Amino acid sequence: MSSPNPTTTCLPASGSNVHKVELPENALVLAPTRQLQSLLTIIRDEKTQRGDFVFTSDRIIRLLVEEGLNHLPVISKKVTTPTGKVYDGVAFQGRICGVSIMRAGEAMEAGLRDCCRSVRIGKILIQRDEETYQPKLFYAKLPDDIANRYVLLLDPMLATGGSCIKAIEVLLEHGVEEEKILFLNLIASPEGIQKVCTRFPKLRIITAWVDEGLDSNSYIVPGLGDFGDRYFL
Amino acid sequence: MVMASHGRAPWYGPDGKNVEAYVIGIAGGSASGKTSVARAILSALNYIPTVLILSQDAFYCAHTPEEIELAFNNDLDLDHPNSIDTPLFVKCLLDLKQGKATEIPVYSFVHHQRMPEKKYIYGASVIIVEGIMALQAPELRALYDLKVFVNCDSDLMLARRIKRDVKERGRDVDGILDQYLRFVKNSYDNFVQPSSRYADIIVPGSSNQLAIELLVTHVKRQLDTRSLRFRRMLAEAGEERSKARSRASTLVDGQTDSGSEDNVVLLEQTNQLLGIMTILRDRTTDRGEFIFHADRLSTIVVEKALTLIPCEPKTIRTPLGIDYQGLARDDRLVGISILRSGGPFSHGLRRVIRDVPIGAMLIQSDPRTGEPLLLKSDLPASIKSRDTSGEVKVLLLDSQMGTGAAAMMAIRVLLDHGIKPLNIIFLTYIITEPAIHSVHRAFPEVKIVTASIDPELSEMHIPYNSDSLSLGEGPISAGEADFATRTIPSTPSMGEEEVKEKQKPDPRDALKTEAELSSNKFKVQVKETEKLKFSRVHNRGESGEKRAWVISPGKLALDEDGMITRF
Repeated sequence: MSSPNPTTTCLPASGSNVHKVELPENALVLAPTRQLQSLLTIIRDEKTQRGDFVFTSDRIIRLLVEEGLNHLPVISKKVTTPTGKVYDGVAFQGRICGVSIMRAGEAMEAGLRDCCRSVRIGKILIQRDEETYQPKLFYAKLPDDIANRYVLLLDPMLATGGSCIKAIEVLLEHGVEEEKILFLNLIASPEGIQKVCTRFPKLRIITAWVDEGLDSNSYIVPGLGDFGDRYFL
Repeated sequence: MVMASHGRAPWYGPDGKNVEAYVIGIAGGSASGKTSVARAILSALNYIPTVLILSQDAFYCAHTPEEIELAFNNDLDLDHPNSIDTPLFVKCLLDLKQGKATEIPVYSFVHHQRMPEKKYIYGASVIIVEGIMALQAPELRALYDLKVFVNCDSDLMLARRIKRDVKERGRDVDGILDQYLRFVKNSYDNFVQPSSRYADIIVPGSSNQLAIELLVTHVKRQLDTRSLRFRRMLAEAGEERSKARSRASTLVDGQTDSGSEDNVVLLEQTNQLLGIMTILRDRTTDRGEFIFHADRLSTIVVEKALTLIPCEPKTIRTPLGIDYQGLARDDRLVGISILRSGGPFSHGLRRVIRDVPIGAMLIQSDPRTGEPLLLKSDLPASIKSRDTSGEVKVLLLDSQMGTGAAAMMAIRVLLDHGIKPLNIIFLTYIITEPAIHSVHRAFPEVKIVTASIDPELSEMHIPYNSDSLSLGEGPISAGEADFATRTIPSTPSMGEEEVKEKQKPDPRDALKTEAELSSNKFKVQVKETEKLKFSRVHNRGESGEKRAWVISPGKLALDEDGMITRF
């Protein structure tokens, strides 16, 4: 019951969002509304102060979370309304948990909690190994029953995809099914999306915007700088 | 402005057009007793919610520094018709007569100058204009429904004038007399007295109780005929509406017959949205859960509404030093919450735009007539001023739209302030099809963003509806929440749907005469009303505390006792 719905689209009609690449089918981009563009303009602006940055990115994160939750299954449910009529509704099905990739991903935890009050949230710390230049797992604290849950993986920036792939591998090692992973992301590079989606074809990525690409330092262009630094420091 | 009653009944027809205010012009010599005549009329009309006394004094022209010096030496002629800013006077009065908000100038007799501030006036059903030149200008005379001249002896007027100017306007006697002989007397003889020929009625300036009584009787009769006309208009529109509805229901498969449907934005019915609606509609949902999900839904609705707000291009530089072509939202945005069910929305709006000004309108339905009453409106400064209101975008917040009556009143208030209809977006959780029709027939350009559309009114049940203040007792004891539930559609207009249902063929009906049927129907209605009465009293006894006005930040002045005794 998790078919893509009209709010998300693989290739936005306006074309203003997606640059030069065709996105894989399991990558979903929020509809590029004027409102979303104005929000991104605020967080990209180097003059934006932390207060506005936090507030604005929280707003986009909430849109992402709401969209992500839409990909969870529901079952039909009949309820009786206070007027005594029967309403043909749906009930949420399947348990979820959030996993944030430290440290920028922690910024998205609050947005998830705003929509799901008592959701369990695990954490993963991945850093680049100074010798091998490969992403290396430093720390992972995940709910015990994570194998039975849908996982919302949280990381605001998807650049090369290295740490994201590592995090997904950790989840798979803990018994999470690949199709039960939803990766929520604020700004992605086309390269990163390609890499992650090719490697894990059954997982779904939900991102707010796809940028032009990466520069020589593997920063997203035009990007918004270091999300964690701007949000926390 | 005197609020002499509990609230303002609709001042517009079902087509959304304003019914003009009743305007009385009172002229007469200086200190002839115009003001006391005006006050007497005012107190006799105490059953009219909003009566305004507009004084010509406010409309003295702005003066140059030289003129001000003259004025301080008592050398300025303020009694000549030219000293009045007639074009502004006419404009303000016309606005008020048409039911629009206006800002009138403030003139200080102490400083002999028009002050920089303006006075905001809105919502009078009767306007009394008084001033020595009130009957002078033909443009003004054209606006009056009744013209009155107050006639008084010159010596009496002079005596009163000296007393008043010394006491209230800080002048000395010599100056007053000098000014009287040079300007006031001339002006009276040449302009004021002759204007009495335009008057419909001439009232003596003293011992005039009988004259005032006659005057008031006439005004009351005039107002009565107006309100009768208005009620008939509403009734006719009701018939039209049900016709329109039956027409609409014959169209199947979502075919729409009017372009206005484009202005209704229904949120994508995603799994999450349906899930939230299920929780909200479920009678077993507890209050904490209900509030949480209503709050969550409010953010989704607000985000959707904001996609309709225009944006302008803006170039910024990212931390990587790259120029980026972005967009910036129009920030001339305000929220207006229709109390109290708009309350949960204002929280959601604040979560999306931190610093948005949020105004409030308290609209309740009159338990006797079912018509909405405007009890209070607190509007942001940008709406109150005509200079800015043309560009302001308004998000009108209400949890549900049942009949559309409260929504129409709120929209009418905004239009009266010069807000453009295409700049109004109405946000709601649930709307009924009849409500869409009635709102869009009157205001086709207003946009509506809703989470769900219900086919008919009797299915309404989620968060508190302003129409249902009196229907507090539902399965989730409504009094306990910031939200109430609707138990039974009660007022005649709301009952329409129910009646319709009952009209479905019932085999037993074949045996009954028409009279029996209608009396049956009538009985049902009566029963419902009785029940409601009871539930209200009951509610009050049990959870009066909990029904406190929770959401508005300490601004509400509604007296619950008042509401109940009126019932």
